[in-house]
Amino acid sequence: MKKKPVVIEAYRHRVVADPNYAEKTWKLLEHAIHEIYNRNASGLSFEELYRNAYNMVLHKFGEKLYSGLVKTVTAHLRQISQSIEAAQGDIFLEELNRKWVDHNKALQMIRDILMYMDRTFVPSNRKTPVHELGLNLWRDVVIHSNETKTRLLDTLLDLVLRERNGEVINRGLMRNLIKMLTDLGLSVYQNDFEKPFIKVSTNFYCCESQKLIESCDCGDYLKKAERRLNEEMERVCHYLDSSSESEITRVVDKQMIEKHIMTLVHMENSGLVNMLMDDKYDDLERMFNMFRRVPSGLTIIKDVMTSFIRDTGKQLIMDPERLKDPVDFVQRLLDLKDKYDKVITTAFANDKSFQNALNSAFEYFINLSARSPEFISLFVDDKLRRGIKGVGEEDVEIVLDKVMMLFRYLQEKDVFEKYYKQHLAKRLLSGKTVSDEAERSLILKLKTECGYQFTSKLEDSPTLSVQVLTTGSWPTQPSPQCNLPSEIRGLCEKFRNYYLGSHSGRRLTWQANMGNADLKATFGKGQKHELNVSTYQMCVLMLFNNADRMTCKEIEQATAIPMSDLKRCLQSLALVKGKNVLRKEPMSKDISEDDVFFFNEKFTSKLFKVKIGTVVAQRETEPENIETRQRVEEDRKPQIESAIVRVMKSRRVLEHNNVIAEVTKQLQARFLPNPVVIKKRIESLIEREFLERDKVDRKLYRYLA
Amino acid sequence: MGVINDRVKFNVGGRVFETTATTLANAGRNSMLGAMLDENWNLLQDNGSEKFIDRNADCFSVILDLLRTGELYIPQNVPEKLLYREALFYGVLDHVRSAKWGQFDGNRLRLSCSVQGQAPGDGTAIRAGPDGGCCVAHGCMVHVYDWMLEEHCPLNLDHQRVNDVGWVDPNNIVIGVSERLGRGDGGMGLFSSHNGELRYKFQVSHENHVKSYTAGALSFSSDYKIFSSCKGRSNEYGVGVWDQVTGKQIDFFYEPLGWSLGDADKLQWLEGSNCLLVATMFPRKDNCYISLLDFREKKMVWCWSDVGATLAVDEKRVRDAIAMEDNSSICVVNEFEELGFMDLRSSAANSVRWSSRSRLMKGKMPEEPCYPKLALHGGQLFSSMNDCISVFCGPEWVLTSRLRRSYGGSICDFSIGGDRLFALHSEENVFDIWETP
Repeated sequence: MKKKPVVIEAYRHRVVADPNYAEKTWKLLEHAIHEIYNRNASGLSFEELYRNAYNMVLHKFGEKLYSGLVKTVTAHLRQISQSIEAAQGDIFLEELNRKWVDHNKALQMIRDILMYMDRTFVPSNRKTPVHELGLNLWRDVVIHSNETKTRLLDTLLDLVLRERNGEVINRGLMRNLIKMLTDLGLSVYQNDFEKPFIKVSTNFYCCESQKLIESCDCGDYLKKAERRLNEEMERVCHYLDSSSESEITRVVDKQMIEKHIMTLVHMENSGLVNMLMDDKYDDLERMFNMFRRVPSGLTIIKDVMTSFIRDTGKQLIMDPERLKDPVDFVQRLLDLKDKYDKVITTAFANDKSFQNALNSAFEYFINLSARSPEFISLFVDDKLRRGIKGVGEEDVEIVLDKVMMLFRYLQEKDVFEKYYKQHLAKRLLSGKTVSDEAERSLILKLKTECGYQFTSKLEDSPTLSVQVLTTGSWPTQPSPQCNLPSEIRGLCEKFRNYYLGSHSGRRLTWQANMGNADLKATFGKGQKHELNVSTYQMCVLMLFNNADRMTCKEIEQATAIPMSDLKRCLQSLALVKGKNVLRKEPMSKDISEDDVFFFNEKFTSKLFKVKIGTVVAQRETEPENIETRQRVEEDRKPQIESAIVRVMKSRRVLEHNNVIAEVTKQLQARFLPNPVVIKKRIESLIEREFLERDKVDRKLYRYLA
Repeated sequence: MGVINDRVKFNVGGRVFETTATTLANAGRNSMLGAMLDENWNLLQDNGSEKFIDRNADCFSVILDLLRTGELYIPQNVPEKLLYREALFYGVLDHVRSAKWGQFDGNRLRLSCSVQGQAPGDGTAIRAGPDGGCCVAHGCMVHVYDWMLEEHCPLNLDHQRVNDVGWVDPNNIVIGVSERLGRGDGGMGLFSSHNGELRYKFQVSHENHVKSYTAGALSFSSDYKIFSSCKGRSNEYGVGVWDQVTGKQIDFFYEPLGWSLGDADKLQWLEGSNCLLVATMFPRKDNCYISLLDFREKKMVWCWSDVGATLAVDEKRVRDAIAMEDNSSICVVNEFEELGFMDLRSSAANSVRWSSRSRLMKGKMPEEPCYPKLALHGGQLFSSMNDCISVFCGPEWVLTSRLRRSYGGSICDFSIGGDRLFALHSEENVFDIWETP
């Protein structure tokens, strides 16, 4: 009787002394864990439980507490696992989800009670913290139990398949269960779901793409592939882990696009070329967006597009029909360019590499024809001469910009320059240009494009009415001298005296092929007209003051006008309806040297002033063309030489091939020099002792200062 | 109604406290008070009754005040240790810690307290931990203190001399020790700072053979590498590199002929330039060797030595070196606590530019002088000399503060970390803790 109270008293004051202290306290906590799992926690006192757990740790029973926790939770999870496995059919996922929610809540409460242990005992003894421990046990006991593991995966994959086939599934439940896997760790999600999911998806899309490629045209196929891609991204967004997006979209990309990319791009009647021909911007855009997802997808589009443009351009440029009308030809080039610009901006996201591809294609075929520079200049001439129909100044700018773009493609920019100068001179001297503004603007554009050198000779072109021209500023078409009528000659002499008297040290030559004159003529019935004609035409007409009939040959001798110009001149005087002040025998269209011309007494016109146009050299005749070429080649010589000298001056010693490369680099903004020509220039420079060959290595050149 | 619902009544150890759920929420969900308020434990439902907590009322009052105001005020009658224990019970110890001292500023430091160690003088090193604790190496012992200056289980290295100590994180420290002749021991180990348990031993292999070695100075990089100067028995001198996570040796930089790496007193990892500063100084060697190692290219990218220097320079012997925070220069100090600088950007090692401050210590030399040490923290330069620590600031490194305490003799080592400065004295085994209020 006496002993008992003593024991009780010891218990009260020195809690730890009780040998059963730890066991008793643990029982209390264990009971609490049971109650929590049984959702019966409302009767528990948090303060008491926390204090007990605290005391166990404080009194070095942390290990007992921790191992007890593991044991108790494991036992509960075994029960839970069984009840999940027992769930039939569709209930399975719901049961799993419900138990998972319960477990999480229980885990939170258990961790609340054992917080002190988590904070002190766990880190210093390198144990797994309570929450993580609870997740690991759930993974090992519930999820990785033999039955649940495969069943869960199969059910999830089946739901995905059903959704792909158009069924509506419970996405919320899906999301919760996938979230459970990611909560258990990314590796659990990956191994237990993502990897098999990717495998199954690969098979699915492999079959689907095979089926579609056999039954759809390219546009339809791409629409379907795009829809599938969006579905997969939406799926990730709704219930998968965001890390899966790149994985699953790669599957779709590979199976739906990459595997069939060549079939798609070249698909008969619906492939890329057809889309381009039929301006199917939506389809093109879709193809661009889908193809860009796979390696070298865009390169494939780009290559096919480029070769198609090259072919189209080549056909255009090689078509003999087109050569007949340079203006139309250039207009077609511009239309082609416009078309592809639009394709690239609307469908190809204005992709830089596509723009480059387009440019290189144009560069390729434009330079296939040696006449391109001439034609482009003619186009400009036509636009500036006639004006651009019904367009304002801004639109003129647009047309000029487009021309500049074509100009950029030219390799032989100097050839263009030659023609451009000639045409410009004619426009200015004949006062036929639509607007000085437009001319200046174009010169400015050329200047920004090619630098000062190109246009320095053009800029001081004055539109003077006293047209004294500086040699050099103007295209030095060797001006064929002609015999001016004596009346005119007298005036010219006077002017020469005046001009040379006031400006010393100058030379005055007459550009008879450029001028114009007004003639007063009286026709058969005393009808008076004022004829506005060119200098050449004037010379011809004046002859008929003294003669009634003359052959072409005689006219040539009398005037000394070059035959080609004379023929054009006679054409315009005798063969243009309504302006034929001369008549010709025979009445044929062509002019031969023996044709006879006489004054057309019967000429009538409603107008007092009759402007007799020249038959403009729309295109150059063959010999002229060759002549221009030769002049261009001649002009290139000093440019090539000075480039060689510049290069050699800075390098002193250089090997032959390097000289060629450097010189080509320096000059290619203007034209592409021919290596043979460069070599000739080098030899000429050696002769003139600007350079010498190295005595040992003949391929080395040395600059001689 | 909402306001009344927010009220919470506690009876702590017999005293009734009334507060609000809002105030208690400041403790955070990861605290006992936070958990108690969670709806799982339906405390708020029966708001009429008071909740009993079987703890000390005075401490609860201090903690409640901390939660209300964010400030820590400890009345005279509450011992700090008691408060810490109670704060740990409630799970708000971190709140107490961060309220106890402010962000580190070398010019506003106050002596917080001094801790008397167990052993007599001759401390080797003191190292501040990341969370305000520290460890002190004495001969073959390492004493570990947490931020409450509670000493944990001391580490006994079985008579192997400790050369350097370093904190990997608040739970782990690395200790490098000397190998004893004929024992094949020594090396480097990872220890728990809580219970002193040896968790890992770092090994060095030369040509696939594991060799015993002496670990000298230590350094850590932010990408989880450990560096240590190493001396192997068969002249395998150099600097070893280990991975903190795997514990495996990942590199070894062998000492070139006529240079010193294995004996180095000081290693410093230069975060920005991916180089390691290695400095060996008198009296470890007769001469001073400072170099920068680039491990990726296995190259010594910069070096300086006073070998062959004239006598006039000899008087200014380099005693400690530290790379400045911008990685463009190295600061050195001599026995007169004069600072010198060397430019790192010029590849050819140039001479030291000594700053001509005349702060001669003559006549006031203590009986047992200690070599000066350097430290950098937040753009401030610290230099210990005899019984005080000088703080230098600004682009010209002007002396702005001096920390001195009249007890314990010369300062043999000091360390800054966890917003605290620890200074270890050589004559008495005592260290001081300096804090910014």
